[in-house]
Amino acid sequence: MSKLKKFKNTQMLIATLPLVALIALFFIFCGVIQTYGYRLDMYLQIVFNEAVVLAVVATGAIFIYTLGTFDISLGASTLFAATLGVTVYNKTESLALMILVLFATGIACSLFNSVLASVFNIPAFVTTVAMMSVLSAIASQIITTDGGALGGISIPSSVVKPYSGIGFKAMLLIIYFAVCFYVFQLTKTGRRMKFIGGNPLCASLTGIKANKYTIIAFTMAGIGVGLGAFLTLTYTPSVTTQTASSIGMNIFIAIVFGGMPISGGPRSKIYAALVGGFSYMLLNDILEIVIDSSAAYGITQVISALFFMAVVYITSMNYRTQALPR
Amino acid sequence: MSTLKKIIHSLAIPVLVAAILEGLCLTQGQNIITNAKSFDNFVVYTAIVMITTMALSINLNSGRFDFSLGSMAALSSVIGAEITYSALAGGKGSAAMMLIVTVAVGCLLGLISGAIYVALRLPPIITSLGVTLIYEGIMYTITGGKYLMKEVQNSSMSAFANTWVYAFIIILVVLIFMVVVFEKTTFGYDYAALKSGQKVSINTGINEVKNALICYGICGALMGLVGFLNAARNTTINGGQLNFGSIAIMFTAFLPMFIGGYISQYCNEKMGFLLAAICMSLLNSTFAVFSNQVTASMQSIINAVLLVVFLIYLNNINVIKRIFKR
Repeated sequence: MSKLKKFKNTQMLIATLPLVALIALFFIFCGVIQTYGYRLDMYLQIVFNEAVVLAVVATGAIFIYTLGTFDISLGASTLFAATLGVTVYNKTESLALMILVLFATGIACSLFNSVLASVFNIPAFVTTVAMMSVLSAIASQIITTDGGALGGISIPSSVVKPYSGIGFKAMLLIIYFAVCFYVFQLTKTGRRMKFIGGNPLCASLTGIKANKYTIIAFTMAGIGVGLGAFLTLTYTPSVTTQTASSIGMNIFIAIVFGGMPISGGPRSKIYAALVGGFSYMLLNDILEIVIDSSAAYGITQVISALFFMAVVYITSMNYRTQALPR
Repeated sequence: MSTLKKIIHSLAIPVLVAAILEGLCLTQGQNIITNAKSFDNFVVYTAIVMITTMALSINLNSGRFDFSLGSMAALSSVIGAEITYSALAGGKGSAAMMLIVTVAVGCLLGLISGAIYVALRLPPIITSLGVTLIYEGIMYTITGGKYLMKEVQNSSMSAFANTWVYAFIIILVVLIFMVVVFEKTTFGYDYAALKSGQKVSINTGINEVKNALICYGICGALMGLVGFLNAARNTTINGGQLNFGSIAIMFTAFLPMFIGGYISQYCNEKMGFLLAAICMSLLNSTFAVFSNQVTASMQSIINAVLLVVFLIYLNNINVIKRIFKR
């Protein structure tokens, strides 16, 4: 076998690893649930409800990460969108208006980030750090003012009950993923984003305007935020200061877990967030069931982190450089 | 530029900030620093911000984004407090012992973080995500997710926090240490070379791995110091920070890092960080004066807006100059 063929085979094998990990984790999860005698359907619903929000927001975020930058304010944007959505519903009792506000807020927050990054030339990661503080603070202010320090704000559960079924959520996920897949894989926009992420200078010299694609990427992420906020409310129709608090950072984990390099570029994969998001949630839930003690959360997090680094190490084996990566 | 002009330019921002904030405080019939207690707080907070900014800048200036700074500070202070309490039970010399142990543990945690980065050869942003999760998980397991109080509430710690003298000594020692290590040693020269040209520096024989490990070690020690100062100032340590709850600490250092970077055009970079930390501490003291009107959420928003406005100015300085020339 030629060296090239061997290299290609190894690469293909490594590329399938995240999917293999997801399947393996799914079967382990089912096995653990059976062993402990819990209801499988109920636990699968819990995992799905937790993972679908992360998968949706992270799939939108793939567009931003592909450009070689990142946005850690997406969790705060989701919280902010959900807060405004609930506030609007409580004032108008209109579900349609609430959904409109969720998406409009998600897109507006994202576009604001992209304008700061592309028009004022501020590094995107810094603008998103600032936005994270601002959005969390405003949302906290609204929640504590309207719902009290320890409580939260909520809408009647009957409002979102028709949309809380797994089937409906799966359909939303599939539609959103299909749109993202189309834009990312089958259009000029997706190809140019990968080009910009891989070599921004070269892309600029060939006449590609990075600003335009930055705005498109942030808009796609904003749609994901709006959808994520809606799915959050369909699972729990109340919003507290802790809602979606860990999503911003878990997006990193989901994307890398799914086999995409954090540096973006041509090796970016649109399915990475979907695969990684579900894998990460399955892993967390398995560990939380198995390690049943007061310190379980801490130990679970340590094991998750070790597993995460092991998967990333294996999936990036083909891309080692002599110098330390930056 | 003459030395006098350099001094005037360096001090311009802190003096301007002090004048504006003092003016604001006078509208309330108060001063920024109202009594000896607020001066103690001012100096301790300056030390915390300066040291965090220096720790953040060490790796960030080299293109290594490190999310684990907050977790290093938190975990090292938890371990330091536990060891000290088990040895002295809050008796005489507790503060001194905790300071030494926390800095040593911080240095060790930094070295472990660096070793993981060097061994796995993954982008530092990814390894730091994993390390953050691990350190937070360990901390949660040690504390059971609770606040540490009795371990840090003793007369020795109170004596440390209730005077500006110790914090002032720490500022001086850290400043001298950083200037000497990064500007007067072979390690510092290698660091500067690697920062500006990684490949060329490696080809000239500089040991990048050794340099990176020392950087992470120093970073960890500095964050250990921050952990100790935070414990002394807050008289408690939050041991329940999971899911990246510890990263907020590094976000407070972004604004001073950019302000310090700007001031360093006219003076030593580390001196720039100190002056920027003084600006942030003045702002913090002003927030204390306005504590009835400005909530914690409002403070976050003001800090974030200042960061964005300052960066818009920094990144568009030429455009602004052109507009004013017309």
